[in-house]
Amino acid sequence: MTVKTFYRGIFLPHHKKQSENKPIEDIASPKEVVIPLHQHTGAPCHAVVEVGEAVKTGQKIADCDSYVTAPTHASINGTVTAIEPRPYFTSSEVESVVIKADTNQSEPKWVERDIEKLSVDEIKEAVREAGIVGMGGAAFPTHVKLSPPNKIDAVIINACECEPFLTCDHRLMVEDAEVMVEGTKLIARSVGAPKIIFGVEANKPDGIEKLKTIIDGNDDMEIVVLDVKYPQGAEKQLIKASMGREVPPGKLPFDVGVVVQNVATAIAVYEACRFNKPLYERVLTVTGDAVNNPGNYRVRIGTTIGHIIEQCGGIKGSSYVEDEIDTGSSEVRYPVAALAHLVGKIVLGGPMTGWAQNRLDVPIVKGSSGILVFSPELVSKTDHIACVRCTKCVEHCPMFLYPNYIGVYSETGRHELAAEWGAMDCFECGICVYVCPSNRPIVQFVRETKKDRAAHK
Amino acid sequence: MVEHDLQITVSSSPHLRMPVTVSTAMRDVIIALLPVTLVSILLFGLYALFLIAVCLSTAALTEVLFRRILNKPVTLHDGSALVTGLLVAMLFAPATAWWTAALATFIGVGIAKELMGGLGWNRFNPALFGRLTVIMIYPLFYYVTEAFGLLRPYFGPIDAVTQGTPLAQMIQGVNLPPLNQLLIAYPGGSLSETSALAVFIGGVFLIVRKHITWHIPVAIIGTVAIMALILGESPFYHILAGGVMIGAFFMATDWVTSPITLQGKFIFGISIGVLLMLFRVPLAPTEGMAFSILIMNFFVPLIDLATKRPKFGEVKEKRFFSFLKPKPYSYGAQKQS
Repeated sequence: MTVKTFYRGIFLPHHKKQSENKPIEDIASPKEVVIPLHQHTGAPCHAVVEVGEAVKTGQKIADCDSYVTAPTHASINGTVTAIEPRPYFTSSEVESVVIKADTNQSEPKWVERDIEKLSVDEIKEAVREAGIVGMGGAAFPTHVKLSPPNKIDAVIINACECEPFLTCDHRLMVEDAEVMVEGTKLIARSVGAPKIIFGVEANKPDGIEKLKTIIDGNDDMEIVVLDVKYPQGAEKQLIKASMGREVPPGKLPFDVGVVVQNVATAIAVYEACRFNKPLYERVLTVTGDAVNNPGNYRVRIGTTIGHIIEQCGGIKGSSYVEDEIDTGSSEVRYPVAALAHLVGKIVLGGPMTGWAQNRLDVPIVKGSSGILVFSPELVSKTDHIACVRCTKCVEHCPMFLYPNYIGVYSETGRHELAAEWGAMDCFECGICVYVCPSNRPIVQFVRETKKDRAAHK
Repeated sequence: MVEHDLQITVSSSPHLRMPVTVSTAMRDVIIALLPVTLVSILLFGLYALFLIAVCLSTAALTEVLFRRILNKPVTLHDGSALVTGLLVAMLFAPATAWWTAALATFIGVGIAKELMGGLGWNRFNPALFGRLTVIMIYPLFYYVTEAFGLLRPYFGPIDAVTQGTPLAQMIQGVNLPPLNQLLIAYPGGSLSETSALAVFIGGVFLIVRKHITWHIPVAIIGTVAIMALILGESPFYHILAGGVMIGAFFMATDWVTSPITLQGKFIFGISIGVLLMLFRVPLAPTEGMAFSILIMNFFVPLIDLATKRPKFGEVKEKRFFSFLKPKPYSYGAQKQS
């Protein structure tokens, strides 16, 4: 089988075995959810509910007048107990709506619509009202992506899932392939694209087979099998590999006539158009060497990490009992001291681009694709030293930048030179840090340069 | 108040690391140097062992001393000082007065590395810098050697033939050792000149372990061969005798002092080869390799600029030497716009 790929990048250990064959499961509904009002790229939402108000699953609780934004919905039936800043996964605090669950957790009834009859504007409106954002991690509002300013030749569905450990998109593709294809058709219709490409990494043969049987005989759909290389799922690298087009620096995929959407997003688009179902739950992978039952779980947005880990069998070696860890109430109690030597790191997202957490009451959001629990052995604790110019980062950088110079200049505060060597074009894939023998946190340096440049604009 | 903070590591992404660190790389360099070290010890016995021991201990002591003076943490565990010490030892003949080698190590580790800012900031290869400094100030040693002569240990005769380097013999037209001896084991010249094959095996090991790429060694050796043919000399002797092998595989490929891009590495290697033959044939027979590498070390930043690659999706500026055109110098001054 010939596989396509892009230039440079790196072959990472997969670490997917422990969860890739686990079917998606629902976990017990939490007693309380914390729904941040700014989970997306763009303008933050304002709450449209008040403290003490009763809300139903799927009810809109926050919205905003601005164009680049996505409304937020209640993910359980319950009562709003607080609207206040709560911890967020980027380790700052974000205004959040806290909902305490009712005993009655009945699912809302969905009215089916005929998706064939929907007009382009109706599709976009449905997507916006459902609050759909890119579910691969960037969380860019999808309805904005569906309104490109120029002609689109193709929609690419990003089914690469190139990050190690994560398997939720893989499972969705195996279990919900029909829905994904229908959702993709809706996306292609709304942007007027004549062609659909499914970019799948070669380590998902069951997903590729399933897709083949569904799209068989369709000339306008194509499966592109891609090499299992990181970062194959990055938009620009995916477009280069599957279509041979290069997105110039500072430009977006639509500049070369392409719209890229993630598997989970396509499914969410279908659900929004078909049932008017808003995005209040998502599938994520809970894995890592320190969690008891790794697998893929369907989780309500706003569920705390602590609740999810507890529902997945808890942390290996921890002896807490049900009443000892009670993540459902506002008075949260964790066996914090007991966990410190069992867990090295808890990461929200993928291992290469995710965010390390030091609290268990951080909620998952629309863009969270996984929770990784690493044992202390997996975590490197050594400090970084000077760059030794080994050139490994330069060899592997998928954007052909110079992470070594960016790191050195940013570290010494010369952000202008760091930008000159390409800091602004970095999408923080993390390869440079992965390969660095000096253990230099280059991604952190890049973020500092970006912040500095943004401040000086 | 409920305790929320878990006492666990929170760091910037990514959260995976490749199991290669500077320490493991340095350990591999020492492993790569083992074959030639063993050959030299076999040939020269205690003389070689003593020289290596002197250089290693001087390197370690110098690093500790300078780090203490500069008030920095001592980083002996990264192994870079030991590598420099071993490399300096490889550059000296077994009968060299030990304080000469110790001084070269001191200059290499102390001045060329630590005073330049430590590992990663040195512009010149520390081992070569130390060796060449000693060579240049050698006339000063004439009287010192007399005075310190008593401190020279005597471990018996080195070998039946204690002769100059094969390279000098080659240039002077004296009877040459056969090629197969030069390749496998020949008791002449510095420790690293004893066996070209052993150095080659070490170099291949480094390439296989992905610590270095093949570009610099191939460029240097290829250029030396072609230049030798053009100048009417024997390419085999030029490659096997002298410092070409150790220089091409261990000195020029030094991470810190070699160019970043593969293109730049080719330019760097070819330049070293050309310089070396220009030194060797018309000028002095020895030290050509060391001088060529140090001179090219100086040009590395320029090579890096000249071979700067375009970003993903960017069209490269076609103008030749465009890297030399002056850039608006705004560093330090914040633009107000």
